[in-house]
Amino acid sequence: MRVLIVDDSAVMRRIHRNVLIEHGINESDLVEAEDGQQALKAATVQQIELFLVDWNMPKLDGFQFVKKIRSLPQYAKTPIVMITSEAAKYNVVEAIQAGVTNYVVKPIRGDVLWQKLQPYVKPGGPA
Amino acid sequence: MKAKYINPFLEASINLFRDYLGIKVTNQSPRLLKDTSDLQEVSGIIGLAGDTSGAVVLSFSRDTAISIVGRFAGRSFNALTNDVLDGVGELVNIIAGNAKKDLSEFRIAISIPGVVVGDKYRIRWPDGIPVINIPFESELGGFSVNVSLKDAS
Repeated sequence: MRVLIVDDSAVMRRIHRNVLIEHGINESDLVEAEDGQQALKAATVQQIELFLVDWNMPKLDGFQFVKKIRSLPQYAKTPIVMITSEAAKYNVVEAIQAGVTNYVVKPIRGDVLWQKLQPYVKPGGPA
Repeated sequence: MKAKYINPFLEASINLFRDYLGIKVTNQSPRLLKDTSDLQEVSGIIGLAGDTSGAVVLSFSRDTAISIVGRFAGRSFNALTNDVLDGVGELVNIIAGNAKKDLSEFRIAISIPGVVVGDKYRIRWPDGIPVINIPFESELGGFSVNVSLKDAS
């Protein structure tokens, strides 16, 4: 399944990437973007089956990205997991209202992150 | 600045360095940073805006930044590479974002982190607001978390 990892931190993208690869996701199915704008472009040239999205990013932040991607019919129901340091309750509520499927606060251990992602992934294909 | 505004940053730092990264870390009591340029060589900076305003600065020596980001990234670094600087920014981002959970009386937006490297530099702290310095000792070297936050009106 094709997964798009959206985070302005290359270190964080690598951490997420390693978790997915450890659990059987093909490296060739992982796509990365440094901000929401890049992510929107990537999602228009290929069908993404799971989004992992940071909140605080330059150009287009994760919150705005979620609103835009949810307005596209082909992504109305695609799982979006927001993985962010933003721990305030109002952030969680707003993200859910904007359309995220699950909300994860960093820092998070790899095994716990996988538990959160597992319902949405199946190696080789969507859940 | 009230202690209740500092504790969330202290707790977020302990959660990150001790509980998540597994680094043996102890902190001294928060104190006033008298010389606001008295920081170490590598600093990650986050601005806070909204119902209150301020800044958070996480400051390391070069060697400590390299070691701690190595622990965070799960790989070793030999120099202050772009990935190490990226990791410093991510660490301060996590501290500021996590601290918001316990600053519920404010609605706060945090900025994209910036990272400064040098022997002598000056952070543009908010005018007229004291900077509180929390020094940490760890098995990977000392570092500090510095917070300046306007009290609620």
